[in-house]
Amino acid sequence: MKLTPKLTRLLALCVIPLFLLTGCSKNDEPLPAPPPPPPPSVPAAEFTVLATSDLRDVQPLEEMVQKATGVELKFRWGGTMESTEAVLGGEAKAAAAWFANAKYLLANPQGQSRVKLQEKIMLSPIAVGVSESDARRYGWDKPDLKMTWKDIAQAAKEGKLRYALSNPATSNQGFMALMGVVAAAGGKAEALSAADVNRGAIADFLKGYKIAGDNSTYLAEQFILQQGTKANAFINYESWLMSLNASGKLREKLLLIYPFEGVSNADYPFMLLDDSRRAEYLKVVGYLKGDAAQTWLARQTLRRPIQPEVAARVEDLLPKSGLQIELPFSPDRALADGLIAAYLNEFRTPIASTFVLDTSGSMLGGGRREQLVQAMGYIAGADASLTGRIAKLTNREKVWLQPFSDVPYGRTAFEVPAGNSGAKGVAEQADSEAKLKVLAGVREFAENLEMKGGTALYDAVYESLRHMLAERAKNPRYQYSVVAFTDGEVNKGRAFEQFKQDYAALPEDVRAIPVFWVLFGEANEAQLKELAKLTGGQVFDARKRSLYSVFKDIRAYQ
Amino acid sequence: MAMSTAKRAVITAVLVAVFGGALYFALRGQQQLRIGQQQAVEVANTVVLKGLIALDVEPYFKDERVVRALAAKKLPVSVVRVGSRDMGGKVVAGAGPDFFFSSGVVAANQIVEAARKANLPATQMAPFYTPLVIASWEPIAKILVANGVAKAVSPKVYGVDMGKLTELMLARKRWKDLKGAADYEVGRSVLVSTTDLRRSNSGAMYLALTSQALLGDIVTDRATAQQVSLKLAELFKRQGYQENYVDGNFDDYVAIGIGKTPMAFIYENQLVRYALTKGGVGADMVLLYPLPTIVNKVVFVAMNDRAKALGTALSNDPELQAIAVEYGFRIADTDKFVTALKPTGLAVEPRLIQVVDPPSAEIMAEMIDTVAKEMAQ
Repeated sequence: MKLTPKLTRLLALCVIPLFLLTGCSKNDEPLPAPPPPPPPSVPAAEFTVLATSDLRDVQPLEEMVQKATGVELKFRWGGTMESTEAVLGGEAKAAAAWFANAKYLLANPQGQSRVKLQEKIMLSPIAVGVSESDARRYGWDKPDLKMTWKDIAQAAKEGKLRYALSNPATSNQGFMALMGVVAAAGGKAEALSAADVNRGAIADFLKGYKIAGDNSTYLAEQFILQQGTKANAFINYESWLMSLNASGKLREKLLLIYPFEGVSNADYPFMLLDDSRRAEYLKVVGYLKGDAAQTWLARQTLRRPIQPEVAARVEDLLPKSGLQIELPFSPDRALADGLIAAYLNEFRTPIASTFVLDTSGSMLGGGRREQLVQAMGYIAGADASLTGRIAKLTNREKVWLQPFSDVPYGRTAFEVPAGNSGAKGVAEQADSEAKLKVLAGVREFAENLEMKGGTALYDAVYESLRHMLAERAKNPRYQYSVVAFTDGEVNKGRAFEQFKQDYAALPEDVRAIPVFWVLFGEANEAQLKELAKLTGGQVFDARKRSLYSVFKDIRAYQ
Repeated sequence: MAMSTAKRAVITAVLVAVFGGALYFALRGQQQLRIGQQQAVEVANTVVLKGLIALDVEPYFKDERVVRALAAKKLPVSVVRVGSRDMGGKVVAGAGPDFFFSSGVVAANQIVEAARKANLPATQMAPFYTPLVIASWEPIAKILVANGVAKAVSPKVYGVDMGKLTELMLARKRWKDLKGAADYEVGRSVLVSTTDLRRSNSGAMYLALTSQALLGDIVTDRATAQQVSLKLAELFKRQGYQENYVDGNFDDYVAIGIGKTPMAFIYENQLVRYALTKGGVGADMVLLYPLPTIVNKVVFVAMNDRAKALGTALSNDPELQAIAVEYGFRIADTDKFVTALKPTGLAVEPRLIQVVDPPSAEIMAEMIDTVAKEMAQ
């Protein structure tokens, strides 16, 4: 076909919009972006945002964004590590991601290629919130206080500072607090490497680590219960600590201390992942950075606006802490990996826990047995991913496997030996022969489980708690917990009411041993939820996710 | 033969009608031809000029007023942003764009060189420009002055001796080690923050400037390039994580402030644009002008006559130049630039005296490579 000149012009005109649209990525000198696919004729429905769980308090934005922009914003919550992993692997299944901090993701070339656009939305520095009475007692309430991470580690060592902190291996707050200590003790302002790490300082700091957990909501609940007894401080984002102060639930308010030589700021980058949703993304970002949303975020969530004009207007809401120095962030992967590995395998209070495993007949159906064997296999070291390394049994860890059907039976103990470590540095070490042997033992045990008979869950949990209590009396330097896994209604042994009675009759210190309940198959959700409250644990739902992913989550609480 | 009057009248009428018709049609034909020619000229005038442009000028070309002004001048454009360093490769006979608008002389020279090889005509023009500066804070500037690294030029404007600053940074001094550092007595090292030079032009210009400072001259050979950049790599590496989108460093300066970004290496137009948009800047914000500095010329390269007309319009048209100032750029008429800024309270140095060129594209690439390798370790 021969084109008339007019038609050619017309076609040329049609091409222009596409030509105009390409290459809008915000990177300075980027590779030319591929032309985006034509906009879908039917507006795609939800604009899913994978967000870290510390952002849960911004949920009302879903409605606000929809009203202001027409974009159907929908949050999906995830942990920092698993969300990072999902974005890196291109498996986020979301149009955008919103993290408290995405520096690891963005320091990685793979991560950079996943993120098409990014905008920081707000700020919140990490602070140490100390119960006011203790802050006064130790003189930490003076306005010209220049408390450093070194002082903080020292206070922790002396028992003056006993804090709640989210897991340094899985959360940004926890990790950055640890980095603060390492940087202060390393005597270097930046460019730390794994070899520079002062192990003594880490050990000192972690002496004060009293309440562990993976997400801030859980930690806040635990802290409210144990403020003044187990802990007198909470290390978290300023916004969390101030919200906690405002909640009226604390026994006494927290005084916020910002370590003098530097803290890490959460800067909440909002990141476009799916390039075909660019137009909606720009609308949402425009709204989030606008006056209305920035003011709302400041007032309702106590995060600092990224817009300096709005920040000036809401100055009265947030403490004027003077100069806040940002800790340089080391993108050195070897340092991060080494630090996390050292934390898990050497510095943290070692874990001692019992896995109560349902081996009733119903486990034979629907691939349930396979899921359980696989999950135990992974915990025993068959997964090298980011989150897998955290789920894996660590040096010095004690684990008992307690199968049950009609009755609890065959409890088996495993103990992972300690590794050897030098005086300085945190270079990662390979597993020792002895460790590998223990891990193989755990896998073999799981593979040999036979599924038959009924479900005596409460008997098994009760027995395990008594056993953990006895162990704890012998070896108090471990962190004890019970993981209770079941796939059905309890039909053997103790019933629900009986268990509650017997639990109440156990010595008071059983409350320091949380029970994490895994909901699977036909297990009774209402009962498990009640028991989670009673035993200071949590319920984890494995009905819609793989059992292993749930086990990984639990590991971050242990 | 007698003809009735009536008959004659009819014949006349018919003849008139025939001739008139012919005349009418003849005239109409001519007119149509003229209209056709006119249309052709108009069509030629509305054929859109295609340009490949750098990020720096993208918002300018997207500005409605620029779009309208260029359409009125029969010079409508359609632009696509590409990395300045990739532009040279886009010079293709018959299929290339009508013009390039690259960030910096180095990239422009690459384009002209590629055009020369392809035997294509290319004309360079520099309608606007902006110097590279260090955005900083009054307390920081005072400390630098106290240590003989900077000197006050006029209120809120400082000149910073790049040689001394580079020396201080390579000596791994911390702020608290400096004289008179009471207002910024922190353990952070003295470092200028930049964007990731592997992905950004301003980061690369910082490397160019510090290499000049270290050597006292422009790097011209590969051996020196390697040697110098090996030494300078730590100025990037020690920054830790760097934002890798162009506004990241500047955003942190404005939003997070002195605690994170005591000194930010930016294009002057970024802060000028910010001041003009917001109607002011933070009370403590000051500009440090590196001595010497590099001026980033946004170089226009025309590949044909209409594109040349576009370049001339961008360089000379008062409205188009005034809009460029709104985007923070300097234009030929410095007074206009300075006057526009007065109400914002942001002070600038009107005269850029000590200006150096960056090393050649080849040498720059060598230096960037060397630093990038060091950073990946």
